[in-house]
Amino acid sequence: MKLIFRIAIREYLENVKTKGFWIGILLFPLLIWMMIEIPQFLEERGIPTRNLIIIDRSDGLGEIARERIKLLNRQKTLGDLQVHIAKHTAGLRDQMMDEQQVDPVDVLDQLEKGLEQLSRSDVEINIFSPDQLVKVADLIPEEMLLDDDKWKFFNTMVRSQLPDDAPEFVEPAPRFREVALIDEISLDNDDEEIENHLKPYLRAERDYPSDDGDVELFALVIIPENALDPDQDLHFWSSNLADTDLIDAILKSLSEEARKREYTRHGIESEVVAEVASLRVRSVNFNPNKSEGDERVGIRDKIRQYAPIGFVYLLWVAIFSIAQMLLNNTIEEKSNRVIEVLLSSVTTTELLMGKVFGVAAVGVTMQIAWIGSLIGILRLKAGPSATWIADLIAAVISPELLGGFIFYFIAGYFFYAFLFAGIGSICNTIKEAQNFLSPLMLVMMVPLGTMTFIPNDPNGAIATTLSWIPPWTPFIMMNRMAANPPAFDVYGTSLLLLVSVVIVFLASAKIFRIGVLRTGQPPKFLELLGWLKSKTF
Amino acid sequence: MTAPIELINVTKSYGDFNAVNDVSFTVPEGTVCGFLGPNGAGKTTCIRMMLDILRPTSGTISILGAPRALDVRGRIGYLPEEKGLYKKMTAASIIAYFATLKGMPSALAKKTARELLERYGLGAFQDHKCEALSKGMAQKVQVLASIAHEPDLVILDEPFSGLDPVNQGVMEEVIRDLRAKGRTVLFSTHVMSHAERICERIVVISAGSLVFDGDVHEARALLPRRVRVRGSNIDEVLGQLAEVVNSAPSADGREGVTEHTLREGADPQLLLKAAFDSGIALEVFEVVDPNLHEVFVHLVGEEAREAAIR
Repeated sequence: MKLIFRIAIREYLENVKTKGFWIGILLFPLLIWMMIEIPQFLEERGIPTRNLIIIDRSDGLGEIARERIKLLNRQKTLGDLQVHIAKHTAGLRDQMMDEQQVDPVDVLDQLEKGLEQLSRSDVEINIFSPDQLVKVADLIPEEMLLDDDKWKFFNTMVRSQLPDDAPEFVEPAPRFREVALIDEISLDNDDEEIENHLKPYLRAERDYPSDDGDVELFALVIIPENALDPDQDLHFWSSNLADTDLIDAILKSLSEEARKREYTRHGIESEVVAEVASLRVRSVNFNPNKSEGDERVGIRDKIRQYAPIGFVYLLWVAIFSIAQMLLNNTIEEKSNRVIEVLLSSVTTTELLMGKVFGVAAVGVTMQIAWIGSLIGILRLKAGPSATWIADLIAAVISPELLGGFIFYFIAGYFFYAFLFAGIGSICNTIKEAQNFLSPLMLVMMVPLGTMTFIPNDPNGAIATTLSWIPPWTPFIMMNRMAANPPAFDVYGTSLLLLVSVVIVFLASAKIFRIGVLRTGQPPKFLELLGWLKSKTF
Repeated sequence: MTAPIELINVTKSYGDFNAVNDVSFTVPEGTVCGFLGPNGAGKTTCIRMMLDILRPTSGTISILGAPRALDVRGRIGYLPEEKGLYKKMTAASIIAYFATLKGMPSALAKKTARELLERYGLGAFQDHKCEALSKGMAQKVQVLASIAHEPDLVILDEPFSGLDPVNQGVMEEVIRDLRAKGRTVLFSTHVMSHAERICERIVVISAGSLVFDGDVHEARALLPRRVRVRGSNIDEVLGQLAEVVNSAPSADGREGVTEHTLREGADPQLLLKAAFDSGIALEVFEVVDPNLHEVFVHLVGEEAREAAIR
């Protein structure tokens, strides 16, 4: 036992000392961090304020477009505010995990009431939990955003709810800003003159002089006189073909206006249309498997059902990356001839176990570092989706999933580790090992292939059958874990898996013993069978 | 007291092929024993069986009184023929690691590793990774790794192969140091000069079978002695003696020197007496004892050739 421990310690320390290990440990959180940070960074700094000119020849359609631009700008501010709240109330929201069943309608009612109250007097209200604050930002109707007074009140109220130590919210630069026409030209010029005159600015050949200094001109929008007529086109000039947000928003607002006018022409009130269009039939989902009184299915239940997929994937990556490490390591030890010295000091079983444990410890360290940094980064970077993360973390920490993961990781790892070590012992190079690994790879792909559809029918015939095949048991059972599989399946497959681990271990130990000292070509499959039957070494 | 190494009728077969065939010998305590034999004779297989890395098909092996080497692994040091180290470990840490596997406490193992590296001229390299060492240095490190735990029995498989003459000298020094401490050493080689210099005892196997087991004098006695002489008409006088079985010009190429091979057990002094009786003044009179190389070729020459041709 002491020698197994010594071998394991060496394996562990030697692997942990390698650059590859640390690159692996650090690369993963770095990637996750980049995945979160880069879009945010691009959003914050990548898209500068777009400066535009609107030439409005129509009867007030320009104002409708301007309203829409204002809406886009406020939505951006709101989004940033939402992130700001989420970031600075993370601790508070953790404490309030239990009361997070937020009903959107309730929240909105409360918001309306709060705003009314605020507009009447300066009474201090405290109606929102930080969690609701995050959620409410998604629910604010457009009219409320466009109403300057309400927007101001909302801002004041939200900011007053932030914890005292939270930094001041800095309003972001607007997404779009309308700039005035330069002096050389005016609305009296015709469209073509204006277009020709502004082209150098739109081509970014020249900076456009605005009230805020020289800026880059993003777009020129010319709304014709009868813009809503089907045969009239709006002119949109811009060198940037990729960013279509502006033109999309303007077209949307003008199309709404066109429909509104059309309804009115037909004698239908547009408010009625809007109200009718907003009708939604809703459902409440219940799960009979849940405890009585708590049968309502929430987002957490959905996450719980699908969380095993994540676990299966993690299990798969963990098991195979570690087993692969063991394979490489065995081949290295064999090819640099250290193995014979080792075998004069320890038995093959001790060597095999020591290696398997040592490499497992490396893998477990890596997993813990990955999962830890993932949770850490998610918490740190918690954006508006913070509650979703909290739900996910809660689902992950549920005893049957976590317990299942640990059990299947250990059993699955040993199953494959012994198999891989056995293969490593008969091969001198990775290339030779590939011949044995190719068929094994096919077997290993099955749980990945079935990973996404098993949660749809977790106790069905396919899932049940696959669970009873030992190489797949860890993955398939993990996948079924959230669906309360029958106890017979759980214990039966586990027992079968454990028996298989023992069989694989005995076979591998035998192959290992003969294989590690053998040089030259790896044995043929039939020869291997012969080894398994042989009594002496 | 039981001998540190005792093999009784040991056979190892792979299918129909007997790699080792009914080999028996013992190595007494405190001796340095050369384990000789041509390539493919079965030396490594025997050594692996002694160490319980392979199991014999039949026969019994006793190592330091135990039936299995692993039972007394802490008292055995082993240097395999195929030498290798963990490339990424430092010289000192790998010696210490192997010593701890033999049961030495970790702190002591580290201290011993550094002392050994100092003593055998690798002090400056203790913290170098093995991949940065030259082949000779790496081999020295491996030798030190096999003896760091102060074993009673040291088995070295081809310890001289791949070493330059200077390092071969260091290797001989290591073995002499071990003998001075009363350890038992068995080493295999096919370079006879090393065996000649440091062995008290030799075991020779050929084609899997034991062909000689005894001390170096006994081995030399297997071949007749020779006498080299020069003097006028001396060859005619000596040619008539019954003790002389063969006469030929000396192999060392000296002019006029003849080498006379004596009958087994014959005393070279008889030749001196015959010259004296005949009144011949001898310019050269040398008694040449056979060296181990000649004994070896005599013992395994045919098999070794056959093996090489096969």
